[in-house]
Amino acid sequence: MGKRSAIFLSIALAVCLSVAGLSSSSFAKEVVYLSLADYTGPIAGLNVPGDMGLEDIIKETNAKGGVDGVKIKFIGIDTRYDVARAVSAYKRYRRTPRLLVVNSISTGIGKAVARLIERDKRLQIVPGDGEFQAHIQRTFIWGPAYQDAFAATLDWIMDDWKAKGNSGTPVVGYLSWDNPYGREHLRGGKEYAAKLGIKFLPPEFFPPGTLKHDVYLTRLAKAGANYIHAGGVDPTPTNVIRDAYALGLTKNIQMTCDYWGPTALGIGVHAKALEGTVITSFYQRGDESKNNPFVANLWKKYRGSAKFNEVYGMGMSWGMTYVAGLKVALKAVGYDKLTPDDMYKAYQKLAGFDKHGIQGACAYSPTSRRGSLEVKIYRVKGGKSVPITGWRKAPDAVSLHKF
Amino acid sequence: MRPCGVFDKSYGLDIAIIRTWQHWAILISALILLFLFPLFGSYYIISFMNYLAISVIVGLGLQIVSGYCGQISFGQAAFMAIGAYTSAVLTIKFGFSFWIALPLSGIMAGLVGIIGGAPSLRIKGMYLAMATIAIHFVVIWLILHMEITGSFKGLFPPPPSLGGFEFDTDERMFYIIMTVMVIMTYAARNLVRSKVGRAFVAIRDNDLAGEVMGVNIYHYKSLAFFVSCFYAGIAGSLWGHLITVVNAEQFTLMHALEYIGMLIIGGMGSIPGVFFGVLFIRILNELVMFTSPLLAKAVPWLGSSPAAALGLVAFGLALIIFLIFEPRGLAHRWEIFKASYRLYPFAY
Repeated sequence: MGKRSAIFLSIALAVCLSVAGLSSSSFAKEVVYLSLADYTGPIAGLNVPGDMGLEDIIKETNAKGGVDGVKIKFIGIDTRYDVARAVSAYKRYRRTPRLLVVNSISTGIGKAVARLIERDKRLQIVPGDGEFQAHIQRTFIWGPAYQDAFAATLDWIMDDWKAKGNSGTPVVGYLSWDNPYGREHLRGGKEYAAKLGIKFLPPEFFPPGTLKHDVYLTRLAKAGANYIHAGGVDPTPTNVIRDAYALGLTKNIQMTCDYWGPTALGIGVHAKALEGTVITSFYQRGDESKNNPFVANLWKKYRGSAKFNEVYGMGMSWGMTYVAGLKVALKAVGYDKLTPDDMYKAYQKLAGFDKHGIQGACAYSPTSRRGSLEVKIYRVKGGKSVPITGWRKAPDAVSLHKF
Repeated sequence: MRPCGVFDKSYGLDIAIIRTWQHWAILISALILLFLFPLFGSYYIISFMNYLAISVIVGLGLQIVSGYCGQISFGQAAFMAIGAYTSAVLTIKFGFSFWIALPLSGIMAGLVGIIGGAPSLRIKGMYLAMATIAIHFVVIWLILHMEITGSFKGLFPPPPSLGGFEFDTDERMFYIIMTVMVIMTYAARNLVRSKVGRAFVAIRDNDLAGEVMGVNIYHYKSLAFFVSCFYAGIAGSLWGHLITVVNAEQFTLMHALEYIGMLIIGGMGSIPGVFFGVLFIRILNELVMFTSPLLAKAVPWLGSSPAAALGLVAFGLALIIFLIFEPRGLAHRWEIFKASYRLYPFAY
């Protein structure tokens, strides 16, 4: 045998052994969770810690023997916030045996994958697209819809406006990404603002990845905005508010954000600029999340001394919901007959499922696709997110819009 | 690719692409194998091959305008979007059949491409690249803000059908996509060997000399953009009807960069180079997708997520390595291999 043949045979043998090793490590009873996540693009700040929390719940569940002996396999795909990559990846994994849930972490990806999910009779979870509440399908959202949370912010704005001794109604500006996510809040949110009598300025949109937001902010300020709602996934809102601060706008204009607003990371870097910013969140933030015993224990066990990010807790809640749904589905049909459709039916029975205080109780039911109904309002104070309200039910703004 | 001692004995043989009966046998067997593949291939691979073939069509178009005609274009993703949206609008809003919408989407993208390529008549190199980037943003902005394109919600084109038979799975779409890819490859291969192809090369190598020799620069540059965008439009239409959803976010500047990267790695000015480049980048992406979780397991403190950044790093590294060590791409390696095979067993 020549030298080249020997090298070729060794490589071939090594590949075969690795493949054999990989396949032998797979479990006999296994279900799959597919995450179409952006690990390296504009929403990586949300996706990375989120999937860390999810993975740790899966590790913990598997370490305890799985759900009734069924282990969970996690597949994470880096979509780079790219709809084409995500759809293409889903298409390739759609026939994976017992692929029960697909988490499409992007409004655009969620909308694109939803049709395929319907065709495959599978279950998808997406961030906060109210369209899936308006048209009940197999897609569930993580918490209240974007428009619901935005309506809750508008309620807080009205309260704040009155508390400051003002009469009439405030002028509210809105700026966010020029994509499906950025516009979703307004589909119902705008109608809710009209209902409250708020003067809503023409919204400003900018492409994800924009570095400076001065033009948009200045335009809103000149139009007389008393409040500006900065959309986008952190670090975008942090950067927007940093620009507003640099322009001197935060002295007179109250900045607000949705649940993807500044996390501990952004606040740590731009504490001064973000001071006073109001964040409407459906999951615990800041020290409240860090000190949640359930979250803290898991973090300590799997992440040790790494820097904590509150989105980790939200990722845990995806995992907890998956485990709870799997329990219901296994109880109903057993492992051998388990199909994605059974998981879909199981998710609709999870109303009231407790998420250890990370977010409000699960609201999934045959008529609800909302992961929870409550939000909490936080304010950045002294470089930290501090709750200024308790959990409060977000208004139903989805029903106000004609989808 | 011919073994040592096999010579062309006629002019016909000299200009033929397929020269020996062995070549014919290999080609026919390969085509039979390709079209039988859905009968025994895994769904994962079939789906991946559809994605590859669509990328090849886009790459072929880009190769014509950039590799052969020397006009750098970052607008390929936008022209693909034009094709996808044209096909979607025609089938959904005007009730056209996919079979009519497919060529029309190519023509529409081609016509817009002529407008998009107009700056190439006055500017070159980096300036032209910037102009095509501007075109990309204009096209995407228009798509996002027009009602007919479904604005940010996008459109949902139906799968193609023929006499009641729906091409609604990847296996079924495989036949359409592969047929189109084979036809478009054949067309591209012949185009670059024709008078038109030689005019493109003349413009690329020295446009002034070409013009002095009688090459109509205006005509051929416009033609190169038309053909290139026609390819992108066809690919866009196929893509839209394959995934049954068309959204502006599917056609980003990053995609356009990826296509340029494919040409650099595969080799500029070579039709096989397109195949090499597409295969290299797409397989690299797949490998990264599989290896990053393994990496995360090996280095647990990383988690699966940061490990996934490997994809971008790998793409960038591959580009740098090729630009430094093999700027003529994999196609050049292929040419070297063919040349040595032609001489084998002699050294020279």
